[in-house]
Order: sequence, then structure tokens, then C-alpha cells
Amino acid sequence: MTGTGARPGDRLLRGVHRTLTGLHPAVESVLAAILGLLVGAVLMYIWGYDPWRAYWALLKGAFGGDYEIASSIARGVPLILTGLTFSICLRAGMFNIGAEGQMYVGAAASICVAYFSLPHPWHLVVGILFAAAAGVLWSLGPALLKLTRGVSEVISTIMFNWISRFLVFYLVAYVLVDPRQAQRTVRIPLSARFPILVPGTDLSAAVYLAVGFALFVYVLLWHTAVGYEVRAAGLNPTAARYGGISIKRTMVLSFALGGVAAGLAGAATTMGLPPTYAIISGLPELMNLGFDGMAVAMVGRNHPIGILFAALFFGGLNAGGRVMQFYGANPVPLEMVRVVMGAIVLAMAIPELARVLPAVAGAARGLVRTLSPKARKEAA
Amino acid sequence: MRKWLGLALVVALVAAPAVAQALRGKVAVVLDVGGRGDLSFNDMGFKGTDQAAEDFGLEMVEVQSATAADYLPNLRNLARTREYDLIICVGFLLGDALAQAAEEFPNQKFAIIDSVVDAPNVMSIVFRENEMSALIGALAAMAAAHHGYPKAGVVLGIEIPVLYHFEAGFRFGMDWGNKKYAAVTGRPANVELLYTYTGTFSNIALGKAATEAMLAQGAVGVYNVAGPLGIGDLEAITEYHRNKGTKSGPPYYFGVDANQDWMGKGMHGLASGMKRVDVGCYMAVESVVRGTFKGGVVSLGLKEKGVGISRYQDLLEFIEFGVKAGALKAEDIAETILNWQANRATLPDWIWAAIDELEAGILNGTIVVPTADTVAEMQAVRALYTLGAP
Repeated sequence: MTGTGARPGDRLLRGVHRTLTGLHPAVESVLAAILGLLVGAVLMYIWGYDPWRAYWALLKGAFGGDYEIASSIARGVPLILTGLTFSICLRAGMFNIGAEGQMYVGAAASICVAYFSLPHPWHLVVGILFAAAAGVLWSLGPALLKLTRGVSEVISTIMFNWISRFLVFYLVAYVLVDPRQAQRTVRIPLSARFPILVPGTDLSAAVYLAVGFALFVYVLLWHTAVGYEVRAAGLNPTAARYGGISIKRTMVLSFALGGVAAGLAGAATTMGLPPTYAIISGLPELMNLGFDGMAVAMVGRNHPIGILFAALFFGGLNAGGRVMQFYGANPVPLEMVRVVMGAIVLAMAIPELARVLPAVAGAARGLVRTLSPKARKEAA
Repeated sequence: MRKWLGLALVVALVAAPAVAQALRGKVAVVLDVGGRGDLSFNDMGFKGTDQAAEDFGLEMVEVQSATAADYLPNLRNLARTREYDLIICVGFLLGDALAQAAEEFPNQKFAIIDSVVDAPNVMSIVFRENEMSALIGALAAMAAAHHGYPKAGVVLGIEIPVLYHFEAGFRFGMDWGNKKYAAVTGRPANVELLYTYTGTFSNIALGKAATEAMLAQGAVGVYNVAGPLGIGDLEAITEYHRNKGTKSGPPYYFGVDANQDWMGKGMHGLASGMKRVDVGCYMAVESVVRGTFKGGVVSLGLKEKGVGISRYQDLLEFIEFGVKAGALKAEDIAETILNWQANRATLPDWIWAAIDELEAGILNGTIVVPTADTVAEMQAVRALYTLGAP
């Protein structure tokens, strides 16, 4: 994407892909991954585990065969979508932490299909639409607050996450609850489930939805005028406004698109993940998918195609991490597996983290403006 | 080993003798998202299986689940290796995943604690928690009446059928305790119930907040029915004592699953409603080793020593458990035992004798403790034993 053609977006694009080390982004990511693996190996060595054997288990558990590969992809599906939520908004110059909450309401909305019946593909489609609509509605709250009152989206999305969490807790416990199984909601009927692609694994057709949406976002952002406006507003809002771009429009658009993605992540989990096909009290199968998506977005360099690979990488880490727990004579306990995974992910996110620092600083300025009455007066 | 013999006998009698199969020498325990370190449910599952693996010379593997999405993959990963004689699922929430895995791997033996999975290769181990909760409820009501407290509290976790067993038993027990107190002392006792479903098995802060609210309303103590939340419950009670300047007596802490009386150096834990998850796990492994493994429901109650109210011998066993987990220092053991004895001495002997009487009644079948598995059944029990909290 760093060509030097005559298209007007190329200068902007070059700016986007400036990297920390001056190397090609892919090379940089591989170097970061090696660094992360090394740190993880040292940690495991210090605590008396065999890093070679553990990494062998990780690799085998992640990509050792059809079953393993399917499991890794399945684990990455919702992360593609929540990663997109974060990236779209970051491309538009905003720090949207709200994927978690938008995903919860999306999941809750998809459960509603259990209350009526339709033939197979349509029942599923209606559920997907419900989830997407709920995600958009939930994302509009922070978007409108930012538009009308200048509230920093960092604060409002975090607040909306909490509201969503307890709202969905309530819905699960009292509204959508299965009267015979008080610990979960009613189940999504067969006609509204994503078909399983590889029998005996978690991989369902939800993967097509996630990959399709990622490609859609890519085309929209990089090959349409609207997408160009969104990215331009993200790179330099003042210049974009001067160039006749409506910042308000790009803001609402990117929030809404992000809301769709997060809502779909909820649906992909409730309608596409065996065996429960319902929301369990306490949301243990949804918890943190939104936040993990932010890490996926960082590793994937906030690019839809990069996110696809990053999500596969994450899914592999998680699927392989499960195997590390019981493989070999001295298996690595889950706590250590998570420490190692954390080291790898952190190392891989550093290049992108450093690159988005200006955006982080911008968000921090917004925060200060929201919080301090003096700064707010000055701004007015 | 002696304590297991009685149980082994029961198992041998109940289960039909089968031809012993060649053992592969490995067992696995799969835990739910609660994970290790709760000093209660999950740690007990580990303890029992570990003990059995040691006694029968097996290798044991423990697999935790980072999220609920890992339950089924974890079971599949283990079953696919065909290396495990038995895979034990510790926790109700693994039920759905096991139902599917058991169907996909019909030759793999599974056991599950707290849930019933209807498959020929799954041993479903459930407990009659209502029985020991009745003992705790009776103790709480009599303790409240004796010390002049108006209420007794229960802090529960997520509203799942298993927890209805506890609530139903506790209600019955309180009612029994109120009547017993009136009969013995000639003074009426109307101790009322305070109960909260916190909706979590992991947020310790909610346990503390719920306990504080109950203490403020005059609860003589709280019964923890939410695993790790008990740590928060006990913290609230300890702070209450510190502010009051008291070292023992009410408000009391009633532990759950494990014997938790030793926690906080045994100062406020009066008694625990023990649910021996470790006994269940041990039993399942033993049945596989002896070739008596059979799918179906195994129900453990007072009679099978699967549940019970904590006593002195249990305290010693679980002090060791606490020291091993790093939650109690070895040099504090003597002090812990003295504290616990001082706390127990704040109640008259007749109350402890009454608890033994209730236990004997349940054991010989003259007293039947109600239970509940559905919302409707729970509401029926609530209507029967209102205790000011329908």
C-alpha cells in the first residue's frame, strides 16, 4: 500500500505506514514476534519449564492439523470483528474503547430470535441484523455525546461498557432467562445458528461473516471517497475540515461501522459457538472479547487485512495455550501460559503502539478537556 | 486412608462389579473460569483428584479454562489424545460442554461435579447441599436468638439450581432452629433471614458489600454460598469486629464447600457447610481404577459423608490444606486452633447438642430437609419458610 502513484491519498498513506524501525511493517512484526517469543522463553526458563517443549506444544496445538487450525480460526473470529471496531475509529482519529459493551448488547439482541421461528437462512440473517442494529444503537450514545457536548469518547465508551454490562446482566437474569435453566438465557434455535464447517470443532460459518466484513471495511476505507474522508479526518481533522470534509459525518459513520462490527462479534459468539448457543449468567464466554480485539487491532496495525492475520495469530496463541497446559511431562499451567502470551502480544503491539502515540495524546487531551472545567471554558 | 474406606465400601456396594479394563495411567481435571486459588470449590476438586492419583499411582493433569469458550475445546483436546482413563469436570458450568464432548467421544470416561449429564460414559456427581445447609441454618438461627440478634444472612452467587439447594436447606434449618430455641429456653425466637444473589462467583468486592449491608441490619453472621466471595464476607466481618473491639463471638462467618473455619486465623469462622468435592473426585477416580465406573447420577449427602458441618478433625485436615495453599503460616496453627475453640465457646453446649440432634434426625430419615431445583420449587420452599424474606 506504499506505492507512489498519482492518487491523492498516497501521501496520507505513506504517513500511515511509517514504521518505528524504518523496516517494512511485515518484517517489523516478525522481529517483534521473535522478541516476544524470546521473552516468553526466558520467563518459562526462569520458572523451571522447558521453553522448547512448551513452544512445540503451542505450535502443535495451534496449527498441528486440521482440527487445530480450525480451532485457532474459530477462536479468532470474534476478535476480527472487535478489532475492526477499534481500528475503524482509530483511522477516523478516535479512541473507541466501546467494543466490549457494544458486543454485549449485540449478543443480547441476537438471543431475541429464540422467541419466534423462521426458516433456516432467514432466521440467522434476522439475528445478525438484530445484533448489528443493537451494536450501532449502543455506539451512537458516545458518538452523540462527543458531537453535541464534546465529551471525550474514551470516557463515554468506558462508561457505556459498564452500563451495557449490567444491562445485559439484568436481561440475562430476568428477561431472556431460560425458566428451566436459570444460569443462562434461552438458546438460539437450530434454524438461527451458524452451521459448523468442520465437525468436531468450534469453527462455524461465522468466519465468513467476519472475513467478509473485514474485506468490506478495507474496500470502504481505501477504495471509496467516503473512506478517504474518514481517514483524512483521522490524520488531520483541521486540514480535512479545510478541505470540505464534514468531521461530524465521518465521526458518526466510523462509530456506527464500529458498532456494527462489535454487534456482529456478539452474534458470532451466541449464534456460532458450540455448545451453549446462549448467554450464560456472568457472560463468561463474551467477557474481554472487546478488549482482546484492541490488542488484535494493534498487532494487525489497524489495517483490516492485518487484523485478519493478527486474529489468526491470537486464535492460534489461545488454542495452542490450551494444549501447553497438558502437553509433555512438565506442562505449563494456565497462569504461566497467559504471562507468555502477554509478553508476545505486548512485543508485537509495541511498533503500532508507538505509531499511534499521537492519537493517544489526542485522546488524552480530549480527556483533560472533558474533565477540567477551566479547559472547557477556554475551548468555548 | 481410613476415612476413604467407608466410602469405598459404599461405592463397591452401589456400583455393579465390572471387568477391570487396562489402565492408561492418567487422569485429567478440567476447571471452569473460577480457576485455582479459591480455597474452596476448585481447590477441593484438585485436592481430591491429586490425592487419588497419588494413592493409585496415576499421573494427574490439570487444565484451567481462560474463558467459557475454552470448555469444549479443553475437553476435546484431552479426549482426542485417548491417554486419559478419566476426565473430571469440576463445576456446573461445564455441563453443556460435557454433554457434547461425551457424545463425540463415547469411549472416553468422564465425571462431572454438580451437574447431571445424561450419557452412559458420564458419572454425574451431585451433592445434597440442602442437608448440611440445614445444619448451618439451625446453628445461625439459634446463635442469633441466643445473642439477641434479629437476623441471619446468606450471601449467594449466581442464581443456578445448585444454589437453590443451599437456600432451601438454610431456610428449613433456620425454621428448625427458631423452634428448637423456643422449645429449650421457653422464649420465642423469630430470627429472620437476609439473602442476596450477588450474580457472581468471582467478584470478591460484592461479597464484602453484601455482608456489610447484612451486618448493618443486625445479622448474627453470614453463610457464604459463593465460593471465593467468602474472602470478602470474612473481611467485612473482621472489620466489624475490629471497629467494635471484639475478638470472638457474633457476627460469625459460616464457610462453604471446604472447611473454611481456619481462614483469618480461625477468629470468626464458627462452622462451615462442607461439600466434599474432593470426596466426589476421589470416588470417581477410584471407581475407574477398580473397574466399577458406571454412568449415571451419584448423589452424596450426610450419609455418604459427601456433605457435613465442620468439626474439630476437619479443622486439622483443612488447616493443612490452607498451609499447603500458602494461605496460613505454619507457626499460626496453634493460635488458629485456640481462636476457633474460643469462638465456638461463645455458644452454649445445648446448641451444639441440638445440631447433633438435627444431623442424627436427617441421617435416620426422621427429618426430611426440603430442596429445590427450579424457580417454582424454590418459591414453594420460600412460601413455606418465609422468615421475613419471601
